[in-house]
Amino acid sequence: MESVLIKTHGLTKRYGAVPVVKGLDLEVKSGEIFGFLGPNGAGKTTTIKMLTGLLDPSEGEALICNYDISKQPTQAKSLMAYVPDQPKLYGKLSAREFLYLISALYRVPKNVVKERAEQLLNLFGLQERADELLEGYSHGMRQKVVLASALIHQPKVILLDEPTVGLDPGSARLLKDVLQEMARQGAAVFVSTHILEIAERMCHRVGILKDGSLIAQGSPEELRQKVGHEGESLEDIFLELTGGHENAELIKSLGEG
Amino acid sequence: MKILLPPPLESPPPEQSFWQNFLLLLGNQLRVSWNKLRHRPVGALMGMAGLLIGAIAIIASLGIYAYGSLKALSPNTVQGFLSMLFMVGLGAQIFFGITGAFVALYMSDDLELLFMAPVPIKAVFAVKSLVIIGSNFLTVVLFAFLPGLFCGLLFKAGVSFYILVLLVGLGLWAIGTAIAELINLLVMRIIPPHRSKEAIGFIGALAGIIIAISFQLPNMLINSRNKFDIGSWLEQQKQMLSVMKFFPWGWGSSALVAGVSQNFLGGLAWSLLILLVGILLFLVAFNLVEKGFRRGFISLSQGERGKRRKAQAEEGSGKLQKAPSLAFLMQDVVSPSSPWLGMWAVAKKDLLSMKRDTREWFGYLVPLIIMLFFVGQFLFSSVKTSGSTLMTVLIMYTIMFSGNMALQSFGREGESDWLLNSVPLAGWPVVWGKLLAAILPTLVLMEALLVGTALAIGVSKTLIIALVVGAVFLALGSSSIGLFYSINNCRYNPDTPQQRIAPGASLFMYLINLFFILLLALGLTYLFLPSELVFALRDLPAVTYEGGLRSGLFYGIYLLSRPLLWSTAWRVFLGVIVTGGIWAAMFFGFMAATVRQSRKGFRVEIIAGRKKRSR
Repeated sequence: MESVLIKTHGLTKRYGAVPVVKGLDLEVKSGEIFGFLGPNGAGKTTTIKMLTGLLDPSEGEALICNYDISKQPTQAKSLMAYVPDQPKLYGKLSAREFLYLISALYRVPKNVVKERAEQLLNLFGLQERADELLEGYSHGMRQKVVLASALIHQPKVILLDEPTVGLDPGSARLLKDVLQEMARQGAAVFVSTHILEIAERMCHRVGILKDGSLIAQGSPEELRQKVGHEGESLEDIFLELTGGHENAELIKSLGEG
Repeated sequence: MKILLPPPLESPPPEQSFWQNFLLLLGNQLRVSWNKLRHRPVGALMGMAGLLIGAIAIIASLGIYAYGSLKALSPNTVQGFLSMLFMVGLGAQIFFGITGAFVALYMSDDLELLFMAPVPIKAVFAVKSLVIIGSNFLTVVLFAFLPGLFCGLLFKAGVSFYILVLLVGLGLWAIGTAIAELINLLVMRIIPPHRSKEAIGFIGALAGIIIAISFQLPNMLINSRNKFDIGSWLEQQKQMLSVMKFFPWGWGSSALVAGVSQNFLGGLAWSLLILLVGILLFLVAFNLVEKGFRRGFISLSQGERGKRRKAQAEEGSGKLQKAPSLAFLMQDVVSPSSPWLGMWAVAKKDLLSMKRDTREWFGYLVPLIIMLFFVGQFLFSSVKTSGSTLMTVLIMYTIMFSGNMALQSFGREGESDWLLNSVPLAGWPVVWGKLLAAILPTLVLMEALLVGTALAIGVSKTLIIALVVGAVFLALGSSSIGLFYSINNCRYNPDTPQQRIAPGASLFMYLINLFFILLLALGLTYLFLPSELVFALRDLPAVTYEGGLRSGLFYGIYLLSRPLLWSTAWRVFLGVIVTGGIWAAMFFGFMAATVRQSRKGFRVEIIAGRKKRSR
C-alpha cells in the first residue's frame, strides 16, 4: 500500500504579522515525484525550510514519514535529505571528507561508508577531484557533491530546491534518472523548480503555490481539466493560474504589432 | 549506465547520545580549522608568527612595568588594579566576542547543513559556542589568567590560590562570552544577512584601530614614566574602586585578594559566585540564540525581512497598478544620449557603492586619524613641529591618498567587470567617470582637512587659497596615476573584497607618485624661491661637465639650479611652464594610457583563497 511520507496540515509561517505561507495542506506518497511550483516570492523556499526543520512553523504541522518535524526532528531528519538551491558547503573540506562527515551525521554504518562514498563519487564523476578542497569547486561540482551527500544515507524522503541549476545537461539527466529510480524504490521526491518542462516530464503530481497559498494540486492532466484548456502545456496552465498569462499576452501582442 | 542505489531506509537508524553528536561535530570543526591552517600561504603564517611575537613583547613589557609598580603597594590597591584589569578584559571579551559570535553563527555557511542533519540543534550550538569561547581565549589569558598569576607571584601565594585564579578566569570568560552572544543576538537581528560581510569588515576595522592604539601603550608609558605612577593614581581613585565591588570584575579581584590574604574560603565564595553567574548567563545566551535561529528570529540565509515585505505590500495596495506595456520595444530607434551622461552614470554607480558599503568609509578614516595625530602633536607635544612641516605632510598625504583611492577604482567592479566592458562607453566616459568618483570624496575630505589644519595652525588666507587650488591639481595628477595602475592590475577576492590591487602594482604607483612630486617640486622651487638655497647657490663655483655619470649628474643639477638666479619675471615664467608642463604630461599621459586600456577592455582578476580563478 502507498504510504504518505510527506504530510502538512494547516502549515503557516508568518514574519511578524505578514503571512508568507498560509495554511498549506499537502500530501506526497511513497514512490511519488511531487513538483512544487510557484512564481518568485510565493513561499516555496519557506515551505521547504519548514519541511526540513530549518524554520519552525507559526501554525500547523509537517510530518515526514509520520514523524512531526518539530517534535521528533531527529527521527524525521534521519529519513530525509535536502538539496538546497545554493550549495553551501565547508570550503575547507574535500568532497570525500564531506561525504564521510554526512555519513557520520546520518549514522550510516561505518563498514559501508567507504564503498558507498566511492560509488557516489564515481556516479557523479567526482572521483578525480575528490581530495581537493570544496572551495575550489564550481557551482555545478558543488551541486553534485550535495546530491551525492543527499543519497549516501538512503533517504526515504528527498526535498530538492531548484536542483538542476548549474548542472550540465548530462548531470541534469543523471539527476532525473536518480530521482526516478529513488521513486521507483519507494522514496518520496519533492522538487521545487521553475523549469516547468522538468515538472511536466518527471513529476507525477504538481502543486502550485501563489502568495503563500496552494492554489492547485494534482497531476498535469488533472490541472489541464481544472483550467479547462485541454492539450495545453504545463507552462500555459501555470501562467493561467498564477496570473502570468498577462505577460504572455503582451509578448504575443508584440508579434502581432 | 545502470544506476544502482541502495533501497531507502524503512526506519530511522539508532539514535546517538548528545555527547557522541557533540564529539562528532567538534571533530569536524577541528578538521575544518586544521585544513584552514594547512592551506594558508606561508607568508600569512609568517605574518601571524610576527604578530604573535609583537603581542608577546608588548604583554611582557606591560607586565614588567605593572609588576614593578605594584611591588610596593598594599593588597587593597592591588585589588583596585585587578578590578580595572578585569573590567577592561571583560569589555575586550565582549567586543571581540561579538565579532567571534557573528562569524561563528551569522556568517557560518554550515548552519543550514547542520540544522538539516539528524543531530540535536543543541549539539550544533554547543560546538559553535565553543568556537566563540575559543575566540576569547587570548583576551581572557591577557586580562584574567595572567594578572592572577602575576598577583600570586607578587604576594608569593600558595598553590590553592591558583585554584581561585582558575575559577575567576573561567567565570569572567563565561560572562564575557555570554554577554557578547546576547549583544550579537541583537546585532544579527538588526543587520540583514546580505550585509553581514560588510558588518564584519566594519567591526574588524574598528578592532584594528583599537589594537593599533593599544600597540602605542608601551611607548606612551615609557615617555611618561616620570609623570605617571600607577600606584599613586590608584590611591586617588578609592571611591571609584569601591563601586567596582558590586560588579563581577570587583568580585574577581575580591576573590584573589582574599586568596593572597590567607582567606581561602572567602576567596572561594567570591570565585564560585562569579563562576555561577557566568554559567547562568551563558545558559541564558545559549538558549536564546538557539531559539532565535529555530524560530526564525534570526534569518539563516539571505532573504527579505517581514518589515520590508510589509512595506512593499502596503505600497502595492496603495497605488493603482499600471498595466504593463511593451510598446517601447517597438519604438523607432532613438539617437543615443550624450556620453557625458554615461560618464556621470559610472561615477554615480561608484559613489553609491562607496556610500552603501560601510567598509569603504574606513578608507577615509585613515587620513582623519593621521591628521588628528599630527595636529595633536603640533598643538600639544613637547617636540614641536613647524607649521610648514605639518602642511607638507598633509600635501604629501593628499597625493598618496588620492592615488590610493583611485587605485581601488577598477577592482571595485569585482565580478561585474563584464558590464563596463560590454556597454558602449569604453574609453574616456568610463575612465573619467571613475576619476570623478575617486576624486570627489577624496577632494572633499582632503580640502576640509587642509583648510581645517591651516586655520588651526594659523596659516595666511592667501596660502590657504593656494593650498586649496594646489590640492585639486595634485589630487587629479595622482589619481590619474592610480587609475592607470588600477585598470592594469585590478583584482577581486570575495573573502577580502577591500583588497583590490596587486601589491606590486600598489608599490609602483607610490614610486611613480613620488617621482611626480619630485618633478613638481622643481617647478614649484622656481615659483616660490627658497632664499636659503639661493644664498648658497650664489657662492657655488661654476660646475662643468668632465665626463662620466657622476659629473653629468652634478652638471645637470647645476643647470637646473641656474634659473633660480634669473630675474623674477623669467623665473616665474619658467616655473609656470615647468610645473604646468609636468602636471599636464603626467595627468593627460596617464589618463590617455588608461583610456586606451579601457577601449581594449579590462579584466578584474578573481582570487579565490590561494588559487587564481580564471574565467
